[in-house]
Amino acid sequence: MIKREMAHESTETDDELLARLRRGDEAAFVALYRRRQGAIYRFAMHMSGSATAAEDIAQEVFLALLRRECGYDPKRGTLSGYLFGIARKLVLRNLERGRADVALESEADDAALPELAVIHDPLIDLTRREGIEALRRAVLALPRRYREVVLLCDLEELDYADAAVALRCPIGTVRSRMHRARALLFEKLNQDRNPRLAVGPWKPMRVAI
Amino acid sequence: MTCVEFWNHVAEGGLEASPGSGHLAECAACAARWDRQQALQAGLRLVSAGMRGEVAPPRVEAGLVAAFRSQARFERGRASSYSPSSYSWWPPVLTWASAAAATVVLAVVLMHGSRPVPASIAPVSAPHRIAPPAVESADAAVDRVEEDSYGADNDFIPVPNAARIEPNEDVHLVRVEATRSAMMALGVVVSAENASDTVVADVVLGSDGMARAVRLVTNGDGSLLEEE
Repeated sequence: MIKREMAHESTETDDELLARLRRGDEAAFVALYRRRQGAIYRFAMHMSGSATAAEDIAQEVFLALLRRECGYDPKRGTLSGYLFGIARKLVLRNLERGRADVALESEADDAALPELAVIHDPLIDLTRREGIEALRRAVLALPRRYREVVLLCDLEELDYADAAVALRCPIGTVRSRMHRARALLFEKLNQDRNPRLAVGPWKPMRVAI
Repeated sequence: MTCVEFWNHVAEGGLEASPGSGHLAECAACAARWDRQQALQAGLRLVSAGMRGEVAPPRVEAGLVAAFRSQARFERGRASSYSPSSYSWWPPVLTWASAAAATVVLAVVLMHGSRPVPASIAPVSAPHRIAPPAVESADAAVDRVEEDSYGADNDFIPVPNAARIEPNEDVHLVRVEATRSAMMALGVVVSAENASDTVVADVVLGSDGMARAVRLVTNGDGSLLEEE
């Protein structure tokens, strides 16, 4: 147990832990899991809308890592980006099966996105509890392609390069989606403050908390 | 710097980029928009902080550790089996010895295999999924994750908590007799009268000689083939 705790607090890089894992070091596996599982689980949960699905996905992601030839290549990105990439793929499969919790996603989402002008600025509330909760709801109600970049880059603090690996798209696409995601967040927050202005392709999403 | 150039500059570096203070000092609209961006970013950080407590339940770690140990045991066994000194003579000996012992092994595994791990780490669905076929990418890894070791349309039943068969692994199929009571875990109907009757089963033995999967042999009408 002590050994595990020490491993958890290890300053070793992910790649160093992975190398030890490959040699059969259980403590390294536990340390790597504890370091990365929270982010993977949260990403899966907020993308799938299901804690149960997130649990399964987190397990599958780390099982993939146990395979000797898991496909991870440090030259292509960090281990974190690789793990998020697997998690994302599993989430998409889960959503394909379920089709229950997906916010509307269509090309129409891209049309006529608002600029960042607002009438009553909702951002003044963002330091209050209600404002934070409203922002959280807004994030979770984003269409998938925007929600995933916000979850990865803003909430899990992945850099754009790693997000691009996880999302399997060019880094420029990550940037443009971030820009649009923020515009949508502003719009959503405005809608909450000014219900009569509510327009656009927003649909409620069930979120398991 | 124009407004467009400024926001392109920001987009290139994300919100952490230098705001280009010169332009913001000149353009009140961009300055206001920048402030809102910063406020949103700060709000997202607070949302992120609030989510930090959401982590996978401990049973996920327990299951993974069990899977790790299962794989480690399997790999250790495989490594020792393939040592040069033993490789020349062990296959036939092990095969026949395994065939002879298969009934006993199978009976023991099936009778005791339903609770091989402590209750605290019971929900382990993992160990049979951990074999490492070669892959190239994360996508392939995911594809492999979803593979079932034994396929959906064959009637072999994986032995609980046995290691998965690797793609290039040498396996042996042996036909054995086992008592109905030993096969109860596979769904064989057992009563007081027929518990000691024997039924015929095909057993897949891995390269380590351990039973990996079992198929009950049936007659043409679907009834179990019983030894005369």
